[in-house]
Amino acid sequence: MREGFDNVEWLTRTRAEGDVEAWLALMPYARRIGVSAIPDPGSEGLLFRLEPRESNIGNVLLPALHGGVVAAFMETAAALDLMLATQVPRLPRIVDISIDYLRTARMVPTLARCSLLREGRRMGNVRVNAWQEHEAAPVATARLHLVLGEPDASKA
Amino acid sequence: MMHGQTPSDADWRHALTRFVTVIPHTRELGLEVLSVTPEATSMRLPWRDDLLGDSARGLVHGGVLTMLLDTVCGSAVLPALPAPEVCPTLDLRVDHYRPGVAGLAILAEARVVQVTESVVFTEGILWQEVGRPLARGIGNFVRLGPRNTPDGFAEALFAKADEHA
Repeated sequence: MREGFDNVEWLTRTRAEGDVEAWLALMPYARRIGVSAIPDPGSEGLLFRLEPRESNIGNVLLPALHGGVVAAFMETAAALDLMLATQVPRLPRIVDISIDYLRTARMVPTLARCSLLREGRRMGNVRVNAWQEHEAAPVATARLHLVLGEPDASKA
Repeated sequence: MMHGQTPSDADWRHALTRFVTVIPHTRELGLEVLSVTPEATSMRLPWRDDLLGDSARGLVHGGVLTMLLDTVCGSAVLPALPAPEVCPTLDLRVDHYRPGVAGLAILAEARVVQVTESVVFTEGILWQEVGRPLARGIGNFVRLGPRNTPDGFAEALFAKADEHA
């Protein structure tokens, strides 16, 4: 049986072991940009982290992280956080994202935390806050809709 | 481009190629600039396996599409201005119409919708197969103006165009 987000036993086991790395291993782009996650000591969810890799630079003059990489990090966080909260072993698929860039994302680690504003049976609404120095001074905020239903690429 | 002349579309294609080649993230992904006019900029992201976001299903990471729209919309801003200015992304909205699939390059086109004194409004679209869009993005970029644009920004953009003219 292939190991994937639709494998219930595998997901339950990795979740029980706090092995978010095993999920990220199925998300090559998230790995490429250096996303990791640990159980959030302050909540039921996860605390996400983006490494300040040279290959994530989008502005060499400052230098600063690529805004699109920060968005990809926040989207990864939203999808995994929602999957964990709903306990449905299926990677939610993004419907839309709206991201506001509030401060320059410097070459230091970026952290993110998610709030689930709505968890329906079909659709989730997730807000993501990403920061570097202080959580109260975010570098970006995003809101996303993700669909929880069975993804069917053949209908795409 | 000779000093004082208006850059041609070919000059701009060289300049934006240089722009995305200087940026480490887009350089390492091999992003190509296909064409540039004052109205629209198009690019091509070649396929590579680490663009995937769900390798079990063979679907492109949605964040790749956001990154590409940010890049193509942000690049389209430059030829639409009277002189190149640094324009960071203010906000970006992406609607995902269908997932991208493994094995195919992703094509991108962005248009500048409106330029005001403070903001450049853009819109971009992505596809792998003609007529089947993956995502649409709406990106707004802040004009920092000549005072906050580093000296030599325009010259650096067109340096390669001079060499290869």
